[in-house]
Amino acid sequence: MSAVPSFVYTTYIETTADKLWHALTDGDFTERYWFGHRVTSDWQVGSPYKFARQGAGAVEGTVLISDPPKRLAYSWDPCSPDAKRERTSRVTFDLEPRGKIIKLTVTHDNLDEGGKTLRDISGGWPMVIASLKSFLETGHALPADLPSCAAKEKTDA
Amino acid sequence: MRKPEFIYVTYIETTPEKLWEALTNSEFSRRYWWGTEVKSDWKVGSPFALVMNGTTTDVGEVLEVDRPRRLSYTFHHVLSEAARKERPTKVVFNLEPYGKLVKLTLTHEGFEDGSVILDSISKGWPAILSSLKSMLESGTALAIPPSCLGIEGVQ
Repeated sequence: MSAVPSFVYTTYIETTADKLWHALTDGDFTERYWFGHRVTSDWQVGSPYKFARQGAGAVEGTVLISDPPKRLAYSWDPCSPDAKRERTSRVTFDLEPRGKIIKLTVTHDNLDEGGKTLRDISGGWPMVIASLKSFLETGHALPADLPSCAAKEKTDA
Repeated sequence: MRKPEFIYVTYIETTPEKLWEALTNSEFSRRYWWGTEVKSDWKVGSPFALVMNGTTTDVGEVLEVDRPRRLSYTFHHVLSEAARKERPTKVVFNLEPYGKLVKLTLTHEGFEDGSVILDSISKGWPAILSSLKSMLESGTALAIPPSCLGIEGVQ
């Protein structure tokens, strides 16, 4: 077991790799299933990207791998002051066709043991990925919010 | 070092009752679990079994039944000889209402060090629960080819 914790989450989605790639990288799409978070980037390796909700920055970083529609990776720097003290972590999305289904694996690594980011993303990814899957399969995202996130943002503000 | 266990969380747009039914009714389980029937009368202490196309793959005993909130059973894989030698593990489903959704938390624990089935169930549960979510939300389970899961002994 490595000393630095990582978080791995796998799901299977009835969609195509191209549609899933689009859903991960297009701000109009992320805003709908990622509970209002809009992503912007030109998705070139080395380019910046940013997630913002109602104009307020939430997470930002640099594109590390962009191999459509198979693999996307970016560094992960939450914009909250608490998380700023932690090391920059990394998110990798692997998209693998399995018959007519896509296997999506999200790996979030280089996290601080016991840090705020590890706590937040461990609760956040299952919800975001569940909403993404619903969005691609049924046409609508999950009718919910990220309560822990919203509550913490209010506390932070 | 943490004790080996597998935890999976997902959110499903359904009701706790419907999700409970899907977890405990063999007609439902056959649809999202590659033809696997969950067999039990769901009373504490009663036997539990998974039967795939007539072959019993796993057996256990019902430990907790708190409909529609919490269900647990012991789990002992009996198809492969290596797995049969391991002690039974424990599966727990927690169903929590979450606004208009249900938060489902699966915990599978009690593995021996170097368990051969920990790897198999870690690959199997995400596929099974993804298919279950699809079935409850869209009406159609996922056609994931089991051979694609990379589980030893699964064709």
